[in-house]
Amino acid sequence: MTASGEETVETDEATITDDAELERTLGLTGGLAIGIGTMIGAGIFVFPGIAAGRAGPAAAVSFGLGAIIALLVALPASELATAMPKSGGGYYFISRALGALSGAIVGISIWLGLVFATAFYLVGFGNYAAAVLAEAGVDVAGVPVVVPLALLFGVFLTALNLFGTENAAALQNYVVGLLLTILVIFLGYGGLDALGVFGRASTPETFAPFGATPVFTTAALVFTSYLGFAQVATVAGDIKRPGRNLPLAMIASVVLVGVLYVATIFVATSAFGSAALASFGETAIVEVARNFGGRAGAIAILIAGLLATVSSANASILSTSRAVFAVSKDALVPGIAGRVNLRYGTPHVALSMAGGPVLVLVALGEVEVLAEVASFLHLVMYSLMCVALFAMRRDEPEWYDPAFRVPAYPLVAGLGAVSSAGLILFMQPTSQIIGIAIMLASAGWYKYYADDVQLKGVL
Amino acid sequence: MSDDRTTADEAETGPDADPVTGTETEARDRSTDPEPDRATAGGLAIREPPVVLLPLAVLDGETVSESLVEFLAPTKEVLLAYHELPEQTPTEQASLQFEERAREAIEDLADAFRDAGSDPETRVVFTHGRQQTIDRVAGEVGATAVLLPNPTGDIDEVLVPIREPIDDDRLADLVTTLIEGENDRVTLWGLTAEGDDFDPARAVERAAEELRERGVDSATVTTETSVTPTPVRDIVERSADADVIVMREGTGSVVSVLLGDDAERIATGAVAPVLVLRDRTPSEAEPDDSSTDADASGSVHSSKE
Repeated sequence: MTASGEETVETDEATITDDAELERTLGLTGGLAIGIGTMIGAGIFVFPGIAAGRAGPAAAVSFGLGAIIALLVALPASELATAMPKSGGGYYFISRALGALSGAIVGISIWLGLVFATAFYLVGFGNYAAAVLAEAGVDVAGVPVVVPLALLFGVFLTALNLFGTENAAALQNYVVGLLLTILVIFLGYGGLDALGVFGRASTPETFAPFGATPVFTTAALVFTSYLGFAQVATVAGDIKRPGRNLPLAMIASVVLVGVLYVATIFVATSAFGSAALASFGETAIVEVARNFGGRAGAIAILIAGLLATVSSANASILSTSRAVFAVSKDALVPGIAGRVNLRYGTPHVALSMAGGPVLVLVALGEVEVLAEVASFLHLVMYSLMCVALFAMRRDEPEWYDPAFRVPAYPLVAGLGAVSSAGLILFMQPTSQIIGIAIMLASAGWYKYYADDVQLKGVL
Repeated sequence: MSDDRTTADEAETGPDADPVTGTETEARDRSTDPEPDRATAGGLAIREPPVVLLPLAVLDGETVSESLVEFLAPTKEVLLAYHELPEQTPTEQASLQFEERAREAIEDLADAFRDAGSDPETRVVFTHGRQQTIDRVAGEVGATAVLLPNPTGDIDEVLVPIREPIDDDRLADLVTTLIEGENDRVTLWGLTAEGDDFDPARAVERAAEELRERGVDSATVTTETSVTPTPVRDIVERSADADVIVMREGTGSVVSVLLGDDAERIATGAVAPVLVLRDRTPSEAEPDDSSTDADASGSVHSSKE
C-alpha cells in the first residue's frame, strides 16, 4: 500500500514498514470486547426509562431501527477497515477518499463527538453510583451526588490511562464477559416472565401510544447506544488477521447488542407500563430487575450498570485519544497532540485532550443533549464513511484490496448514508445547533491552521 | 536515517560476505578473526548453524555486555529491539516518535557484533505484547535459542541444567558453536525431584555423548546430577559460578517461558545470562531444512517484502 508514501506490508501478525514492525496483539475477542464494551452501556442502563416515556413499547422499534442503521454503516466500515487497517478509523477513510477538508471536519468533530459520548457515559455512571449509595442506605441528605461522582470517576479514568501501564485489555474482556452473563440471565428470565411462563400476565399496553414520530425521535436519541462498532476500526492497526476479525467484530457486536437492546425494552415495558418506567428515570432497569429478582436482582443490575458505564467511558476515552492522534499525525492539529510520554509510554497530551473537556461537559449534566450531540457528530462521520466507500469503489486505486467486500454495495452504502443523515433530522434543535456549530468550528480551524496540508494517499 | 536494515543486508551480500551456507560463513568469520583461539573451533561439526534471538528493550537501556557479544559472535544473531507499550498507546504513535532512537541503539549493538566478526540481523518492533513478539520473531527466524540478558564478565563456564528431555542435537549445535576458547568448560547438570520419572543421569550422558561426537574435547565437559526439591533455586544459586546458562524452554511455548516460567525466574534471580533453547515447532520442523540456511544468510527479511 502506498498510502503512507513508504513501503508498508500488512501481514496477519504485524504491520511492517521500512523501519519498524508494529505487532498486532488484539484477537477477535479483543475486538468484540471493544465493540460490545463501548456500546452496551447506554441502551440498557440509561435509556429504557427515557425511551419508553417518549415512544411507549414502540421504543423497541426505535432500538431496532438504530441497529439496522448501525449495521448498514458497519458493513461499509468493515470494507474500508480491511482495505486500510490503520489506526484512525473513520477519519482516515474519509480524509483519504474525500480529501483534507472533509477529513478535518470529521477528524476534529469526532474528537468532540467522543468527548460528548464519554461525558454521557460518565453521567450514566454517576446515576448508577448514586443508586448504589442509595441501595446501601447511605444518606446523602438531599445533596445531588450524580455529577460529583461522575466528575470524580472521570478524573480517575483519565489518570488511570495516563499512568496505568498494566494490561487493561484482559480486564475489559472479563468485564464484558461478566456483563453479558448478567444480562442474558436477566433478559432470559424477564423474557419468559413477559410471555406469561411464570403465570403472571403482563400488562398489555398500546404499542405506540404517541404515534410514529416519537419512534423516530427516540431512535435519534438512543442511537448513542450504538456508537462503538466503528471504534473497532480505530484500533484496526492492532487487530490480528484484520481481514477476518475486523468485519466479524464490527458486525457481530452490532447484532448482539441490537438484540439485547430490543429484548431489554420488551422486558422492561412488559414489567411496567411506559409511564411508570419513565418515572424511574435513568436507572429504570434497576426497578425492572427488582420486580423480577427482589433486592438481589436489583443489586446484580446495579453492578452490571456500573461495569457497563465504566467500560463504555473508558473505551471512549481511549478512542478519543486515538482520534486526536490520527489528526495530529496528518498535521491537522499541532504535532504535540500526538506526543508519547517515554516514562509511562502513554499519549499524555491526547489523553488530556480527552479527559479535560469531558469533565466540563459532565459538569453540565445534560444527559439527553450530551447523547444527541455525540450521536449527531458520529452520524455525520458514518454517513460520510458510506460516501467514502462510493468514492473508493468508483475509481479503485491500485492499493485498494479489501479482504471484505460489501455485498450489493450501492444499496447498502446508499441506505447507510441516507439513513444516518436522516436520523439527524429527528434530533432536538439544541443538539442540532451544537453539532453544526462544532462542524463549522472544525472547518474554520482547518482553514486557519491546516489549509496547506497535503495528505498522503488521497484519491 | 535512511534504511538501516538495508545496510545490514548489503553487508551480507557485499563483497566481504559469503552468500552461501551459514557454516561456511562462520568458518570464514573465524578465519578473518584476529583472535587465534577462534580458529581452533573450526573443525567441530555443526549440523544446523544456531540462530540466537536477542530481544532487548533498548529504549529502557537494555543491552548486552561486551563479553557476551564476543561469546555469541560465532552464532547468527537476530537483534530484536522491542518496545512494549500500554494498551492505550497505538504502536504506530510510539513508532513515529521512538523508532529512530530504537534503531540507533540496536545498530550500535549490531556494530559491536560486526566488530566481533559476526553479521547480525536487526529488527525493531513496537508491541503491546512482548511475549507474542518474541514468539513470532523467534518462529520467523527459526531461532535455536532466545537470550535473556544479564550482566556477565568473561565467559568460560557454561552451565547446562537439564530437568527434562532435551533436544541433544540442538543443544550440541549451540554449545559446539559457542565454546571455542581454551578455558571454556561445559557443565551438564541433571536435576530431578525425588519420585520423578525423569532420569537425569541418562539425559546428561546422552548430551555429553552428542558433544563428544561433534568433536568437543571430553576434558572440557563435566557431567553431574542432583536430586533436589527446589531445582529453580538451586540453579539460581549456582549461577554465581557460571558465566552463562543454557537451558530448555519449559513445556509450552517461548511465551510461557518468558512470562515467568522457570527460565525467566532463573534469569531474574541469576547472575548469569540465560540462553533458552527453543523447541522446534511443527511448522519449523518440515520445510525448515532449506529455509534455516536461508535464515542464516539473512534472507528472512528480504523474503518478507
